[in-house]
Amino acid sequence: MEADELLVLVAGGDQKAFEELYGLVSGPVFGLVRRVVRDPAQSEEVAQEVLLELWRSAGRYDPARGSALAWVLTLAHRRAVDRVRSARAAGERELRMARRANGPAFDHVAEEVEAGLEREWVRRCLDRLTALQRQSVTLAYYDGYTYREVAERLSLPLGTVKTRMRDGLTRLRECLGGAV
Amino acid sequence: MTVLFRRRELHSLAAPYALDALEPPEQQRFEKHLRRCDRCAAEVRALREDAVRLAWSTAAPAPAALRDRVLMAVRTTPQEGTAGPTPRPHAAQQLPGAYAAQRLPGARAAQSPRARASRLQGLLSPLAATTAAAALVVAALFGVQASRTQDQLDQERAQAREIAHVLGAPDARATSEGEAGGQGISVVASASQHTAVVTAAGLRRPTNGRVHQLWLMRPEVKPRSLGLFDGDTPLVATDLNTDATSLAVTVEPQGGSLQPTTAPIVQLALKTVGFGE
Repeated sequence: MEADELLVLVAGGDQKAFEELYGLVSGPVFGLVRRVVRDPAQSEEVAQEVLLELWRSAGRYDPARGSALAWVLTLAHRRAVDRVRSARAAGERELRMARRANGPAFDHVAEEVEAGLEREWVRRCLDRLTALQRQSVTLAYYDGYTYREVAERLSLPLGTVKTRMRDGLTRLRECLGGAV
Repeated sequence: MTVLFRRRELHSLAAPYALDALEPPEQQRFEKHLRRCDRCAAEVRALREDAVRLAWSTAAPAPAALRDRVLMAVRTTPQEGTAGPTPRPHAAQQLPGAYAAQRLPGARAAQSPRARASRLQGLLSPLAATTAAAALVVAALFGVQASRTQDQLDQERAQAREIAHVLGAPDARATSEGEAGGQGISVVASASQHTAVVTAAGLRRPTNGRVHQLWLMRPEVKPRSLGLFDGDTPLVATDLNTDATSLAVTVEPQGGSLQPTTAPIVQLALKTVGFGE
C-alpha cells in the first residue's frame, strides 16, 4: 500500500497500518533527522518524536496539499530544524563539541548505509548547481540555518539568497527529472 | 505601491519557506498569505517536493530499538481528535525521554475526595506503602489544580499511565536525597521497567530564566538529559539504562543544555532502587 492510503487508515487508529507506514518512512525520517541534527542520540530522540507524531496527527494529512511523503518528511525536517536551532541558541560551543566528539565514527557509519542510487543522483545534481545556489540550499536544508543566517554566512544580500534558493531548487528539479 | 511591494516580498519567501528557513514570525506571516494566494500555494507545493528529494537521499536504516519503542508507544498513545476536538499538541516542546513538566489528573474538579483516595490506594498498593519519597511523589500528583485543555488532559492521562506503571511494577522502590538547605529530589523507580518518577522538593527558583535540568549519570558515558523541572510537577523518565549510577540536578540556561554546564546542586544514588549493576 502507498503512504497516502496508509495515512488514512492510521488516522482511523489502525495500528497494523502504522507498522506498515513505519516500514516505509522510518528510514527516510531517521536519515533526514540524523543529517540535520548530527548527534546520534539526539537524532534518535527526534526521530522517535516525529514517528509518534505521525501516529497522533495522521488525521491532519490533506492529500490536496501534497504527497504523503512530502508531508511526513516536512514534519521530520521541521522537528529536526527546531532541535538544532534551540541547541544552537542554548550553546553553539557545546554543539560543536558534541559534533566533534561524535564526528568520525558517525560519518563512517553514514557512508556505509547511505550508498543509495538516489543519493548519488542528488549529489550529482547538487554538483551542477552554482556554488552559491548549492550552499544556499544545503545550509538551509541540511544544516538548519534560516535564510538570514545563510545570507550572513555567505555575505550576500537577503534578496540574493532567496533567489539562489529558488533557482537552486528549480535546477535540482530539472536535473533529477523523473528519476526516483 | 507599498502593498504591491509587500506582496512581491512575500512571494519571494516561497523557497526559504519550502526549506523551513524562515524565522517563526515570518513563517506565520507567510502561511497566512498562503491561504489567500493560490499561486504561492502551488509554488510551495512544487518546491516542497524538490526539498523532499534532498531528504530522500539521506535515508538510512533506523535502529531496531527505535522501532520497538515507537510501536510500543503507539499502543498507549491517544490520537488527536479521538476524544473530541483537541488543540495542536506541543510535542516539540517536550524533552524526549521524559514527559516534561505536565500536570497530572486526579485533582479534576469533578472528582470527589473519596474517588481520589481510592485511586491513590490503587496506584500505591504494590509499593511498600508509606515511604517518604512515595508520599512526596503522590502529594505532587494529586495536589494540582488548573484549568486544562482536552489535549493537556490526554497528555496527563498518558503520563498517569506511565506513573501507575512504575508504581505497579513488582520491583518498584523509592529513595530520596536532600542537602542541608532543603533542596532535594525523590524518586520511585523500577529497573525492570527502565522507568522512574522523579520529584523535586524545595528547589530554589533560579534567576534569569534559568531552569533545573535532571540528568542520568552512567559510568564513562556523557550525562543524559531526562528533562526540565517545572516547579514540583514530577518528571517521568523512561528508557533508563540499568547501569545508571545516579541522578543529578543542575541549573542550566533557559531551555536546558545538551550537557551539564554547572556542578550538580543535588545528586541521588540509584543503587538502592535497583540500578547500577
